[in-house]
Amino acid sequence: MKPSSKKMFRNGQLYAMLLPNLVLFVGLTVYPIVWSLRYMLYDYDGIHAAKFTGMDNFVRLFSRDDVYWDSLLNTLVYACGKLALIIPLAFLLAMILNVPFKGRTAIQVIVFSPTIMSSAVMALMFYLLLNVYNGDLNRFLLYVGIIDQPINWLGPSLAMLSVVLVAVWGGVGNYMVYFLSGLQTIPKDIYESADLEGATYWQRLFKITIPMLGPVLRIVLMLAILAAFQDIQSIMVMTEGGPLGQTQVVFLYLYQLFFPVSASASNHPEIGYGAAASVVTGLILGIITAIYLLVSKKLDNIF
Amino acid sequence: MKKIAGRTVGIAFIVVMIAFTLYPVAYTVFGSLKSNLELQTGGGFFPTEWKFSNYAEAFQKAEFLKYTGNSVLLSAMTMLLSLVTSSMAGYVVSRHDFAGKKALMAAYLSVMFVALGPIVLYPQYMLMKELGLTGNLFGLALVLTGGQASNIFLIMGFIKSVPKELDESALMDGAGYFRIYRSILLPLIRPILGVIALFSFRLAWNDYITSLVFSIPNPGIKPLTVAVVGLRYSANAAAELHIMTAGAAIAIVPILIVYLFANRQFINGLTAGAVKG
Repeated sequence: MKPSSKKMFRNGQLYAMLLPNLVLFVGLTVYPIVWSLRYMLYDYDGIHAAKFTGMDNFVRLFSRDDVYWDSLLNTLVYACGKLALIIPLAFLLAMILNVPFKGRTAIQVIVFSPTIMSSAVMALMFYLLLNVYNGDLNRFLLYVGIIDQPINWLGPSLAMLSVVLVAVWGGVGNYMVYFLSGLQTIPKDIYESADLEGATYWQRLFKITIPMLGPVLRIVLMLAILAAFQDIQSIMVMTEGGPLGQTQVVFLYLYQLFFPVSASASNHPEIGYGAAASVVTGLILGIITAIYLLVSKKLDNIF
Repeated sequence: MKKIAGRTVGIAFIVVMIAFTLYPVAYTVFGSLKSNLELQTGGGFFPTEWKFSNYAEAFQKAEFLKYTGNSVLLSAMTMLLSLVTSSMAGYVVSRHDFAGKKALMAAYLSVMFVALGPIVLYPQYMLMKELGLTGNLFGLALVLTGGQASNIFLIMGFIKSVPKELDESALMDGAGYFRIYRSILLPLIRPILGVIALFSFRLAWNDYITSLVFSIPNPGIKPLTVAVVGLRYSANAAAELHIMTAGAAIAIVPILIVYLFANRQFINGLTAGAVKG
């Protein structure tokens, strides 16, 4: 049976409507992944002809690139530090804001507002604030008398803590909103019957609220882990991975392989090597996500 | 007694969080009105002399008028491109079957959970260079629009709530698919389009790294974020602190004003995307 021309025209319309998004998706997401899978086998600096080197890039990555593994470790430290602060803070905020009172919406709007601002621009402001000699924070602390020496917030020992705190500032509102919407799904009558039974505040928290939030918590934690790996805009502006590579996170290192900055070790792009390191990083992230999903499923069965 | 203690701790915690949240913003806004000398040597919380001339200087001397225009244009283009491409594709995948649909949905889903970040930036740049689309704002807007897997899922979730009978009866009346999308679905899915509009506008307005890379061949297309952060690396950064701070205020205040009027949509959109995604 031959489709009528009207039918053909109709199907044509469907494909035409799908096409713009499909072209963008294939060109800007699928193609770059395939491209990386190809160039990981080449030595290519973006200028001279690419030279096929097989597994050389991987040998280099696994045998003699300490900077890469250090940056991966830094990323884990950063992600754990960020999560350890941001999740409890966001949860506390959500618990407080879950009870109706005057000014609740205003507080929510304020705490969520950093997520609306450019992290790069605000990182620049934090860079000025945290400056050793004329930064506002040190000046304030000296003035109040909490410290008697200026503190080097972006120096070797505190830089990581500083970038973590800036990340907490920028993201806590996000997770607060996730938790709030999760809390609102818990039926009120469960609490009412618990009250009749004479449950204490803590029993309500650990026996009802947290278990009921399980599914939300699982999704939120996964989003938080992925987001922590991707946070490079503010670190790039505040420290460029310094001092002495203290805040060099893995995505920033990869970025610098493709787009070297004067401060980085090598001054020419290492495209092939960057592609190989990207693919390995993508796989490591995939494995972390898979492990997380498995573990959280198991925990679900226990509780 | 215990209750009062708990409440006091709660209030103290909220006060600390609000101070922590607002201080950097206040520093930026008030700092943008201080003189360069005052910024460098410190001073009070408020400027001693309110120097609105900082803004005039930023707009004229540092060419921030041009960069602000770039940001507005870039964000508007990204918003329009996102709305048109994701709503059309979202309609097709929600309402119709076609060859390869399962594979496409699987692909959308899998990239949502892979953090690609800067990894794809270089190949994206090379592709756009091949097409002659680097060094102009339209090419950058295309890249910032991208595949939008999460927006497609947002729209799909929303279209589910629109009764199928509406499209079917229109189909019976001989309306084409495009007309059904245009006259029946678009008006009905307006709330979710509002969310996508806000999110895509914010994404483009606040983007730094992609814009930085794409404006390398043509610094004239720099958006605000790139221009402001770029001052940090300029030769006389110290002399331009007041311009830097004014530029930062110009970059954050407009989007904050939009947010104050539409904070519901921002907050609802976030949870809709997380739960449905």
